[in-house]
Amino acid sequence: MHLSFLTIQILSALREAAFLFLISSGLTLIFGVLNILNFAHGSLYMLGAYFIFWLTIHFAGPTAFFFALIAAPLGVGLIAMLIEMGLLRRIYVQEEIYQLLLTYSLVLILDDLAKIVFGADYKSISKPACLSGAVHFLGSTVPVYTILVVTAAPVIAVLMWLLLYRTRFGKVVRATSSDREIADALGINMTRIFTLVFGIGAVLGGFAGALAGPVRTVFPTAGDEVIIQSFVVVVIGGLGSLWGAAVGSLLIGALETVGIILFPNFEMALIYLLMVAVLIVRPWGLFGKPIKTRSLSEKNPGMDAREISPVHYSTHPALRYALLVGLLLLPLFAGRYYQYLLSEVFIAALMAVSFNLLLGTTGLLSFGQAAFYGVGAYTVALFLTKTGMGTLPALALGVLASAIAAAVIGIFCIRLTGVHFAMLTLAFGQLLYTVAFKWYGFTGGDNGIQGIPAKPIFLGGHPIDIWSIKGMYYFILVIVWVSVALLRRVRCSPFGATLKAIRENGQRAAYLGLNVKMHQLAAFVIAGAFTGLAGGLYAVMSRSITPDIINWTMSAEPVLITIIGGIYSFAGPAVGAAVFVILNEYIVAWTENWSLVLGLVLLGLVLLLPGGIVGAFNGQARELLVKIRWIKHWAFSKSTESKKPLEDLEPSRT
Amino acid sequence: MAMLELKSVNTFYGRSHILFDVSLSVEKGEVVSLIGRNGAGKSTTFRSIIGLTAPFSGEVTFKGSPIKGLRPHQICRRGVGFVPEDRRCFPDLTVRENLEVVARRQKETPSPWTIEKVYSIFPRLREREKNLGSQLSGGEQQMLTIGRTLMTNPELLLLDEPSEGLAPLVVKMLAEMIIEIRNEGVTVLLAEQNIHFCARVSDRGYVIDKGALRYGGKMSDLISNEEIKEKYLAV
Repeated sequence: MHLSFLTIQILSALREAAFLFLISSGLTLIFGVLNILNFAHGSLYMLGAYFIFWLTIHFAGPTAFFFALIAAPLGVGLIAMLIEMGLLRRIYVQEEIYQLLLTYSLVLILDDLAKIVFGADYKSISKPACLSGAVHFLGSTVPVYTILVVTAAPVIAVLMWLLLYRTRFGKVVRATSSDREIADALGINMTRIFTLVFGIGAVLGGFAGALAGPVRTVFPTAGDEVIIQSFVVVVIGGLGSLWGAAVGSLLIGALETVGIILFPNFEMALIYLLMVAVLIVRPWGLFGKPIKTRSLSEKNPGMDAREISPVHYSTHPALRYALLVGLLLLPLFAGRYYQYLLSEVFIAALMAVSFNLLLGTTGLLSFGQAAFYGVGAYTVALFLTKTGMGTLPALALGVLASAIAAAVIGIFCIRLTGVHFAMLTLAFGQLLYTVAFKWYGFTGGDNGIQGIPAKPIFLGGHPIDIWSIKGMYYFILVIVWVSVALLRRVRCSPFGATLKAIRENGQRAAYLGLNVKMHQLAAFVIAGAFTGLAGGLYAVMSRSITPDIINWTMSAEPVLITIIGGIYSFAGPAVGAAVFVILNEYIVAWTENWSLVLGLVLLGLVLLLPGGIVGAFNGQARELLVKIRWIKHWAFSKSTESKKPLEDLEPSRT
Repeated sequence: MAMLELKSVNTFYGRSHILFDVSLSVEKGEVVSLIGRNGAGKSTTFRSIIGLTAPFSGEVTFKGSPIKGLRPHQICRRGVGFVPEDRRCFPDLTVRENLEVVARRQKETPSPWTIEKVYSIFPRLREREKNLGSQLSGGEQQMLTIGRTLMTNPELLLLDEPSEGLAPLVVKMLAEMIIEIRNEGVTVLLAEQNIHFCARVSDRGYVIDKGALRYGGKMSDLISNEEIKEKYLAV
C-alpha cells in the first residue's frame, strides 16, 4: 500500500468527519439545552448550501466567497430564530413527540419551499480560484478545499468550547441545560437563551451546508440523508455531548472510508451496525449520560400544559357494525378508484393501529416500524414469486417472519426509553433498508420485486378470486377488520391495561411487581407482527415492492397518521389513516407541492389539536361532561354554607 | 408597607386545588417561618411566590407592587431569591461557576453580595471552589444553593427546607448562618418542618396544613401552644 494512497484515504475520512461534526455539533447543542431532537437540522444545512449558491451567483470573487461563507449561515440562524420564536416556543410544555413532529413538519415545509424558490434541479457551486487548486503533501495531491474543510471543524470545535466554558453566556447555557426550572427562578431568561441556542445550532448547520455546497451538489432534499447520518453521529457519541459529536464524527468518517474500500455497497450498513453495537453496549452513547425520562407533570410542574391525557370513550357497537356494513356495501355504488383508495386506507390503518399499541398504549415511540412492514412485504413477495405457495400461507409466513424480526430487534430496543429507543429502532430499520437496497441477488436491490402474482384463495375448496380490484377490496377489508378487532381485544384486555400502566409510570408498575420489559417486548412483537401483516397485504395488493417501503420516511408515516388521528384513542390511528391517505391523494392531484401542504397541515395539528382529530372530539365531549357535573355541584353547594379554610387563623400581627 | 404580602392565594396543579386562600405577610428585616408537615403546601407557597406555579387567584405583592403572573426570572430580578429544596445546584458547573452564573447586581443594594462575601459566610465553599456541584456533600450543596441565590442580591430570601436531611451539627451551623444573612439586611421567609430550628432563627411564624394557614403569630407563643402543635405538626 502506498503512502500516498493512505494519505488520501485518511484525508477523505477526515473531510467526511469534519462535515459530520459541523452538522452534528449544532444538533447536539440544541438537544443538550432545549431537549429537542431537531429533525429540521438537515434542512437548515440545505438552506445554508442554497444561500451560498445564491450569494456566489450574485457576488463573484474570492472575498465574496468568504463573505458568503459567513453570511449564509447567519441567514440560516436568523430564520431558525424566527421559527423558534414563532412556532417551537409554543410547544415546549407538550410531550417530546410533539416537538419532534413540529421539527419534522418543518422538514416538509422547508424542503418544498426550497424547491419552489430555487427549483428542483441539482445546483453546483463554483469555488473561487484560490480554493480550487491542490497542493502536494506527503507525495500526494490534496485539494486546497479539503484542507479548508479539515481545518474548519477543529477551529469550530475550539470556538464552541471557548464559548461554552470560558464565557458567561456559556455558563448560563450550561446551567439552563442542567436545570432549567432553577435557572429560571434565579433570574436567567430561558426564553432568550433557548432562542439564541437554537440560532447558534442553526448557524452551525448552515455553515456545514455552506462549506459542503461547493463539493457536494445542492438539491431540495439534500438534508434528508444528512440528518439521518448526523442522528447516527450524535446517538453514537451521546446526545447533548460536544465531545461525543466529535468522536462520533471521526468514527463514522473513518468507517465510511474503510467500508467503501472493503465492503463496497454495504458501507452504510456498517455504520448502522456500529450504531446498534454502541447502543447495545452503552445505551446512552459513548459520552452520553442517562436522560431521566420524566412524566409531563414532572417536566413542567405548574406550567399550563394542554391536557391530552387519555380518556376512553367506547364507541357504541352498533356504530362499528354500521361502519362494517357500509364498507361491505360500498363496492355496489363506488367505483374501482375508490375501492383501491380505500384498500390503501385499510392497510395504512392496520399499520397505524398496530403502531399505536406501542406509542399510545405502551408509551414507546418506535421509529423503525417500516422494518417490520418491509419484512412482511418482502417475505410474502419472495414466497409468492419464488415458490408455488398460496397467498394465505405466504401471508402467515410474513407475519411469522416479522414477529421473529420484532422479537430479535425488540430484545435490544426495550432496554432503552424515550428518544434513545426511537433512535435504536431507527438504526435497525435503516440497517434492513440498506441491506434490501443493495442485495441484488436476493431482494432485487433498488429494483425491488416486480410481478408478484395474485393467487386465488381457497376457502373450503372453493377458489376465491382476488385478481379483481373488488375481490382485493373484500379480501383486505376482512383481514384488516379481523386484525383490528384482535388488536382492540389486546388493548382492552388486562394485558393492555398493564401496558397503559407502564406508559403512565413504568417505575410504579415495576414496584407493583410487573415485569415491565417483558410486557414491552410482548407489545413490540404484537405490533411488529401486525405491521408485517399490513406489509404483506401491501405486497399482495400492489404486486410490486421497492426497498423504499423500509426507508425511514415510511417509518414516519404511522407516526404522522397516529398524531393526526389522536394517540390516546383506539380509533384515532384508523381515522388518521383515512384522513392521511385521502388527503395525500387529493393534495398530490391538486398541487405539486404536496409535502408543503402536508407539512402545513401537520404543523397546524401539532399547534392546535395536540390530541388529534379523535382526541379533540373526545375533548369536546369531556368538557361537556365536566360542565354538567360542575353545574350539579354548584347547585348543590348553594344549599350548604361554604366552609372557610381560614377559620382558626389567629391575627397574624401582634 | 410589607416587603411581601400574599392575599387569599389559591393555587392549582392541573385540576387539583393545593393552596386554599393563603394570606401572609413578611416585613422588612424579619425572619418569618412557614411551618408544616410533608405535603402541607410549603413548597407550593414558595412556587406561587416565585412564579414557577402561578396562583390561580389572589394577590402577591412584593414591596407594594403586584408580582403575580410575572415570569420567575422577572420576579427574581425584582429582588426575590428562591432557594429550592432538595439542594438543586447545577451539577455540571463548578462551585465557582454556580455562583458566577446567576450573579446580578440590584441597583438599590448598598453592599452587594460578591463571591468573596459568600465565601466569608460559607468558608467551606472556597475550599471546594473547583469541584463540580455533583461532587459536594449534602451540607456543602445546601451552602452552595443558598450562596448561589445570595449572588442574585435578593432583598427577600425564600429558603425551602434548608435543614432537611442534614446532620444535627450542620443544622446548628446553618441556623447561625441564617442569622448572619439576616444581619446583612436580607429578609428571610423560611419553610421548615423542624419547629425548633425555626424557633432558633425566627421570631414570627405561620403554620400551614393541607394547603391552608392554621396559625400565625409569635414563635414563642407557638412553641407553648400544644394544641396547634398536636393538631398540625405532630407526625
